[in-house]
Amino acid sequence: MIWNETKECMSRDELHNLQSARLKKMVSRVYHNVEFYRKKMQQMGIEPGDIKDIDDLVKLPFTTKNDLRENYPFGLFAVPQSEVVRIHASSGTTGKATVVGYTRRDIEIWQECVARVLAMDGVGPQDKIQVAYGYGLFTGGLGLHYGAETIGATVVPMSTGNTQRLITMMEDFGATAIACTPSYLLHIAETLEEAGKIDNIKLKAAICGAEPWTDNMRKEIEEKLHLKAYDIYGLSEILGPGVAADCEYHTGLHVYEDHFVPEIIHPETLEPCKEGEVGELVFTTITKEALPLLRYRTKDLTSISYDKCECGRTLARISRFKGRSDDMLIIRGVNVFPSQVEAALLELGETSPHYLLIVDRINNLDYLEVQVEVEERFFSDEIKELENLTKKISHVLHSALGLSVKVKLVEPKTIARSEGKAKRVIDKRKLI
Amino acid sequence: MIKQLSVFVQNEIGSLAGVTSVLKDNNINLRAIASFDTPEFAILRIVVDQPEKAKSLLSEHGFAVKMSEAVAVELIDKPGALDGMLHVIADAGLGVNYIYSIVVREGKVPLMIINTEDLPKTAAVLREKGYTVAEQEDIKS
Ligand SMILES: [Zn+2]
Repeated sequence: MIWNETKECMSRDELHNLQSARLKKMVSRVYHNVEFYRKKMQQMGIEPGDIKDIDDLVKLPFTTKNDLRENYPFGLFAVPQSEVVRIHASSGTTGKATVVGYTRRDIEIWQECVARVLAMDGVGPQDKIQVAYGYGLFTGGLGLHYGAETIGATVVPMSTGNTQRLITMMEDFGATAIACTPSYLLHIAETLEEAGKIDNIKLKAAICGAEPWTDNMRKEIEEKLHLKAYDIYGLSEILGPGVAADCEYHTGLHVYEDHFVPEIIHPETLEPCKEGEVGELVFTTITKEALPLLRYRTKDLTSISYDKCECGRTLARISRFKGRSDDMLIIRGVNVFPSQVEAALLELGETSPHYLLIVDRINNLDYLEVQVEVEERFFSDEIKELENLTKKISHVLHSALGLSVKVKLVEPKTIARSEGKAKRVIDKRKLI
Repeated sequence: MIKQLSVFVQNEIGSLAGVTSVLKDNNINLRAIASFDTPEFAILRIVVDQPEKAKSLLSEHGFAVKMSEAVAVELIDKPGALDGMLHVIADAGLGVNYIYSIVVREGKVPLMIINTEDLPKTAAVLREKGYTVAEQEDIKS
């Protein structure tokens, strides 16, 4: 079902006009209410009057996560505290948390966006949905919660941490939908399989997000649990979950462009990318009141398509994420993403997918060494075989990256693993 | 036929000691050790008194380990002994992949450990020529 047909299916021309009108208001508001943006715009020699159209977006300054940190906690807020009804925060791995705020209107828009996602995923008043994202400062739990209430579904606010209780309630309540991370859903599926309970459950839709996942993972979840799984994307700086989501055609995530205007830029030159070209995703909020952001750099790499989708929505679609622009390395002029190395190793399937990239510059030439862990089940005690393996890995990496690579086999479990994002790259060039 | 373990180690300071300390800490006696190097890594081949236990311990400690068989032959201490033995193998049309020795045997003669493309045949031709081929029990103590 399409929750808001007027907005989700409006013609691109109408959308252009709506975005232009909203952007103009928004720029004027941040200029007058947020010192940070006023100063930035003054430095760049732009005034709110210079922004007449959504195409003028490119004239505006960028915002980074670091800007949010430097203005911790409320420095970028555009409304008085009395109008702020909710605060969320994401824990920073380095330094202070990123704090975001919402007015009552912001919360309403958030509910609307999540309602659009859930309706797109076939969830409605007839459904019982278990929200198994964390509740609290993290936007996942409460974001899904209010959106699910908005469409009139029966919400079971599970939060995270107790899989047994989740499964018991899933069975006893006859839950028909679940919202959680895709990896947790796979864990739930495995637990159900082990307990022989997989046929007892009635789930028909899963709304998964908050971490990158692949189309293969989606298919695995769908096969194991006999349901339809959908991708939901969001980031607290812009909204929380509900910035974009995919429809039943799974041809990219529809962005709610009437609230968040996406751009794809080259992460180095910051110039706009062409339609379909991979670059860094940037969002400008055009309706946010408490924390409006201009051209916020998400660091997520994706491409965009403006074609009308088979589902009837005219909203632009962003493709599944290709990685993070933070991770991009330029080696001998070639853009290298560590995720490409992982994908190549997984495809070869003869080593563990754990790797470490070491980039160095010797006599003004860049060198890339890839360390790969030998895995016991593929370990041959013949030197010849190990040398062949090294050659095979060099070959697949060369064709994946377009760059010659020195491969070094290392002992199992010697490459550091950290929860979430492991340290995958050592760039020695920066030390010079 | 005896059992040997092959362990993948990096060519780095302390990597061999990493293996031997696991063995020492668990009272496993090392009977023979040989390292086959490339510039980047090495395969450490070891013969121990308790191969199964050593394998699972090393695996638990994160090493890539493989257990395989090898022929162990008693080598009488006289000039040309090794040459004679290698000729027996070559005359049978068998190629030697690698060879190393066990020296520590409390008064018994040293053992040569040989890997070829056909271990049963190698053991058979050597026995035929009067060589003593050792079994796993022979290296327990
Ligand atoms: Zn669609």
